[in-house]
Amino acid sequence: MNEVIGIIIAAVISWLNFVLIDTWMGLPEAPGVKGAEVIGRNIKKRGGDLAGGFFQGNIVCSPDASAGTLLASIGCYLIGTPEGGLIAAVLVFFGNRLCADPGYAGTTGALTITILIALTSYIGLTPIMFIAGMMIAILTIQGLYHPASSKLLGKIAQRMGRYTEIE
Amino acid sequence: MLCIVYIIAIGSAMILGLILKLPLLPERPMRQSWTTSVIFPTAVLALGFTAMVSKLGYLTSANSDYLIALAIGVLTAIFSKFILERILPRPLQEESPDESQEVSP
Repeated sequence: MNEVIGIIIAAVISWLNFVLIDTWMGLPEAPGVKGAEVIGRNIKKRGGDLAGGFFQGNIVCSPDASAGTLLASIGCYLIGTPEGGLIAAVLVFFGNRLCADPGYAGTTGALTITILIALTSYIGLTPIMFIAGMMIAILTIQGLYHPASSKLLGKIAQRMGRYTEIE
Repeated sequence: MLCIVYIIAIGSAMILGLILKLPLLPERPMRQSWTTSVIFPTAVLALGFTAMVSKLGYLTSANSDYLIALAIGVLTAIFSKFILERILPRPLQEESPDESQEVSP
């Protein structure tokens, strides 16, 4: 497959993987640590959404599905599919626990992207495309314009019944 | 072959986990639960540890692989039950202001 097209498809898959799993696991509901709350309130002050801000704060402060997606992709590239992804899932779990996080989002994200990498290998997608794709996916959330991305995350949280009750 | 090894590792970890009285699933809401259960993280750890042993070259497509998988499962269940909470304890909860007022004279 053409590398550019592959990276774009991998970016879309990675974006959906980590945003849906992180939202499902309740990242927009509440800040896990003080730092996540500071980031969430700061984003709200700049015109963003509080739930989306908590989501962004939480993925900065502990390895959630975004880190799981990236690390599993790197693991599959370096070690092989699916072993690299499975090893990454264990390492993400330990990283989560060190960050005072139960570890469901990160571990689930690593396992699901490992399955997706294995399945999409049949249409020519490679783990390295997922590494590049995940970098682009996380850039759209954390690197471009926080108020807009937090509003989008807030809307997704509302749709999935995970919107924050904190004022 | 490798697929069977993973199944044996997960199966033995889950069976021993149940014998050691680990709950099958964490209590609800699961996403906020710190309970060590048979499905999470025991089965996930068994998968990861088997992948590590496989990539380190200890699985050689011989019949001994099944015994190694069984040993990984057993050790993972023991690790989850007795060691995990010691090396990675759940975070201490902050005391609420009301409780601290009650304690202070």
